[in-house]
Amino acid sequence: MTGLLQNLIDGLGRGSIYALLALGIAVIFGVMHLLNFAHGELITVSGYASFAVFQSGWTWYLVAPLIIVVSVLASLLIERVAFSRVRGASDFTLLLTSFGVHFLVSAMFVMYVSASVKSFPRPGWVTDTYSVGSLSIEVFDTVVILVTLVTLIATAALLQRTMFGLSLRAAAADFDTARLMGVRSDSVIRGAFALSGLLAGIAGIFWLMRAGSTTPTGGIDPMLKGVLAALIGGLGSLRGAVLGGLALGMAEVLLRSRLPAGVAPLTEGVVFALIALLFIFRPQGLITVAHAERV
Amino acid sequence: MFPDLRRDLAFPVVGSLIMFAILVGGGLTYQAMLGGSAERLVTSMLIDAVMVIGIQIYIGNTGVLSFGHIGFGAIAGYAFAVFAITPAQKARVLPNAPFGLADVAASPLTAVLVALVVTLVVAAIVGIGLARSGAESGSVSATVITLALLFVTHEVATNWTELTGGNRVGLSFGIGDTLDSRLPIYAALAAAVVIGRVFAQSRSGRLAKAAREDNLAARAMGVNPLVQQMVALLISVAVVTVAASLRVYETGTLLPNQFFFQYTLLTLVMLIVGGRNSVTGALLGVAVIAAGRELARRLGSDGFEFFGIGLDGAPLDWIFREGLPTVFLGLSMVVFMIVRPVGLVDDWEFDTWLFERLGRGAEQEPAPLSEVDDAPDAQLVAADIDVRFGGFQALDGASIEAASGEIVGIIGPNGAGKTTLVNVITGLVEPTAGTFSIDGHHLNGVPAFRLARTGLVRTFQNLRLFGSLTVRENVETAALIAREHRVGRVLPNTDALVAEAGLWDQRNRRARELDYGNSRRLELARAAALAPSFMLLDEPTSGMSDTESITMIEQVRHMAATVGAGVIVIDHDLNFITGISDRIYVLDQGRVIAHGTPAEVQADERVRAAYLGTAAIP
Amino acid sequence: MLEVSGLTTRYGNISALRDANVSVGAGEVVGLIGPNGAGKTTLLGSIAGLLRPASGSVVFDGNDVTGAPPEVMLRSGLALVPEHRRIFTDMTVQENLKIGGVTRSADERAELLDEMALLFPVLRDKWDTPAGFLSGGEAQQLAIARALMSKPKLLMMDEPTLGLAPVLVDAIFELIDTLRSEGRTILVVEQNATRMLGAADRAYVMRSGEVVVTGTGAELRERSDLFDTFVGG
Repeated sequence: MTGLLQNLIDGLGRGSIYALLALGIAVIFGVMHLLNFAHGELITVSGYASFAVFQSGWTWYLVAPLIIVVSVLASLLIERVAFSRVRGASDFTLLLTSFGVHFLVSAMFVMYVSASVKSFPRPGWVTDTYSVGSLSIEVFDTVVILVTLVTLIATAALLQRTMFGLSLRAAAADFDTARLMGVRSDSVIRGAFALSGLLAGIAGIFWLMRAGSTTPTGGIDPMLKGVLAALIGGLGSLRGAVLGGLALGMAEVLLRSRLPAGVAPLTEGVVFALIALLFIFRPQGLITVAHAERV
Repeated sequence: MFPDLRRDLAFPVVGSLIMFAILVGGGLTYQAMLGGSAERLVTSMLIDAVMVIGIQIYIGNTGVLSFGHIGFGAIAGYAFAVFAITPAQKARVLPNAPFGLADVAASPLTAVLVALVVTLVVAAIVGIGLARSGAESGSVSATVITLALLFVTHEVATNWTELTGGNRVGLSFGIGDTLDSRLPIYAALAAAVVIGRVFAQSRSGRLAKAAREDNLAARAMGVNPLVQQMVALLISVAVVTVAASLRVYETGTLLPNQFFFQYTLLTLVMLIVGGRNSVTGALLGVAVIAAGRELARRLGSDGFEFFGIGLDGAPLDWIFREGLPTVFLGLSMVVFMIVRPVGLVDDWEFDTWLFERLGRGAEQEPAPLSEVDDAPDAQLVAADIDVRFGGFQALDGASIEAASGEIVGIIGPNGAGKTTLVNVITGLVEPTAGTFSIDGHHLNGVPAFRLARTGLVRTFQNLRLFGSLTVRENVETAALIAREHRVGRVLPNTDALVAEAGLWDQRNRRARELDYGNSRRLELARAAALAPSFMLLDEPTSGMSDTESITMIEQVRHMAATVGAGVIVIDHDLNFITGISDRIYVLDQGRVIAHGTPAEVQADERVRAAYLGTAAIP
Repeated sequence: MLEVSGLTTRYGNISALRDANVSVGAGEVVGLIGPNGAGKTTLLGSIAGLLRPASGSVVFDGNDVTGAPPEVMLRSGLALVPEHRRIFTDMTVQENLKIGGVTRSADERAELLDEMALLFPVLRDKWDTPAGFLSGGEAQQLAIARALMSKPKLLMMDEPTLGLAPVLVDAIFELIDTLRSEGRTILVVEQNATRMLGAADRAYVMRSGEVVVTGTGAELRERSDLFDTFVGG
């Protein structure tokens, strides 16, 4: 029982980061029908920016906000340079464009920064734990869970209380009608990319804190987690993306600790296979906005 | 199997061999100029060409974007390696191989066959999954399933170290055990090009392409897209298997990352840049991208020095760097998606072009078709049809009948239930109550493609042609189905139908380039080519001017008569309907409110009320 | 106020609208009637910016707005209640209305919300209900109220009575009367020709993508050949 509870807490910590990543992917899928394989590159970009400023002696208190700023700017830049030019194109084109952008960005880091791993200091408390009864809880997980909770509440408020949030939801539901109401397609799409970048930035802080390093191909892992979680939740559903992220985190921890040793490393494969099965048996149920209007 | 043996078999085979010769010749020339260092590059390009054609066979013909073909390649590569590596070498690299595989000794050819069996079994299972998910051109869910395959394969390859050697050790052939001749590669490439082209021209390939262009229209014509997609997938995966085996046999080593994202990117860029809908395009893409990547690699590592021409690279240092090849690939993908998503050649094929120039010869416009007067009698009955969507009663006990040889009109104001009735008759909507039958065969809930094979073909209000196929190919696709499923009917000559529709001069144009009136006539000709017992025309005059509508009357009558079909025509235009119909049903609010000859219906006060609103005109 | 001249719109190679000329003066209620496929929805879509006309011009309030995107059209004072209502079903009634007023300032939006609550008592009772739970009649009222939230100079409605029970059809026509008495300018596409001619100051009859007859409601009601025009005589 304690073991299970321990797993759940560990899974919640891990899943919180995935939830933030998945939410960013879902926001963009909602308004543009674009499955953003380049989402993980935001963390790569932030990682190199962090590495650069750590060289000049910055500390995490300064780096953390910088990561968010860099991530938002990078997200907007990628939209402007690439995705804005394929708005309204077929799913085929959108998928391949984001697949191409993913490789383009990581290869440019190989070209202009370095192909090797760049390390930076991790905050001391990342590995600290404290005990509650027989549970051993990471300080890091606690911080992640709290920050994620605050972020999600703030995002929910943004989506429900502000005109931008309403516009975003309206555009995701029916883009043409939203425009008929006067919602500007440019601002809502750019806003979606900014929000997506913001969420990726917050997730990126924790991702980089835990990793303590960055590589040109470092975007693949967070991208896969985010895409998987968004798929579990039903692409385009924001609530689903959050739940999908948490579920993915829990599943990873549970499978890793419960499966026989030989199978445990296959966790992600198992999760991806389960998702494929879900798609095979409930394609409509999963892709909730597959038929919604697009730009 | 093939509508025209010369065009669809002889020319594709010859054309494929010429393209093969050009690619190989180009490779050998490059090799001769640069010597031994280029040999690996050319070998690699030739194997990539086999792989890309394998992928093209699926993506090009079905329109489904697959990220998973390299996953199939991984399965094939491991199956091949595990069997082809000698037991002595396996004792070194795979001491703990499961299932007693450590002692298996197989020739490379046997190993390829084993790889084919294993990979095709997996492909069949994945194919069933794709079909189950309702894969069609451009569907995201299908792409995700293929992505899952790629990922899962990679995970298994990384972690099942007893079988694969995992990420660190991997698999390797003994020294001197690897491929030492290019002949198998040449043979595989020649075969792959031929298979790719011949499949595209075959019945199965054509039906798959029809479904790629318009899934709904293809089903309404009797195509079961899922079957055609499966056939395309299996053939495609077979070619991929051979390519992957060659790749492993040639390199002599196998690590999970050899068949993962990077190779997926490379092969997809090759396919997309050349033109995914064309085998010629796939080959062109392989050549262009291989050359570009090689240039990028040289520039990236050596600066600008090529063929002995040296330039000072210093001002361009910012671009001549390591990583340039991948930047080149990513950039090619993004730029082509933005600027030209159909690729360099779109769907142009070398052998088709050759055939039009050399093989076709002078063509004569075919003689007009005579009308059929001894077509078998058929009876269509829809009785007491109810359809309810949620709380909305779209049809409320509507009944209609039609017999072969007659033209029956159905009219009614917007929202009267006409389209719902069409959807019931064509199997898209299952009625809540009531029966629908042709010649006493109950057809409630029968899928659309079966209905079409039973002899009911429909046209669509918003025109659903196979846009990038030519006029002729549109009609021929229908004839392919008729030949198999409409045995015992008079099958009209397809060229004569094209001429009958007044499209002879435009027979080789793409359907999407036709103007509106011609598109309508093509749709009619395509429907007639199915040799149907009944043609159901949904708003054939919508978007037409009055004069166009009137000329349409004769065309519909004549087309139906040439195949001996009955016609059910739904239209809002009373003038058209009364001009064309022998009998008319008037629908309003889901019910048949009047029925009779055109004159009777026109005189009916209820019809006026239904059209103009609840109160009659003073 | 609205001057549409020579407007032609195509879908691919289909001319869904040919050389249409329509004008609407301030304070007028103008009907647009005609059979299915006549091009009425295409005409409204082309005016509202959902479709790009191939030729011709749309002049609104003295400005040439031909081919502008919908968000620009709305800002110039044109609002469209689209066919099939297209309300945002996952959002509440209030949120739908707020989106309708997205171009207005927060204060103005609050005032407009109060105004809509008065004008549409049915909606006020369901303020926080997701719009997907509304009945057909309520949803149609929401779609109209949502369009009014932008304070349009010209309100266009596409088939507002489609799929509604007769008593709800009455309610929609009463609403049109109310809006007219408030001095609003309205252009309505309607299947129910007789009712529309009763409610409109003027009407245009469309057929096969063209505007074929025009006149005041009373004039058109006198014309015995209207039925033939309407269904293709």
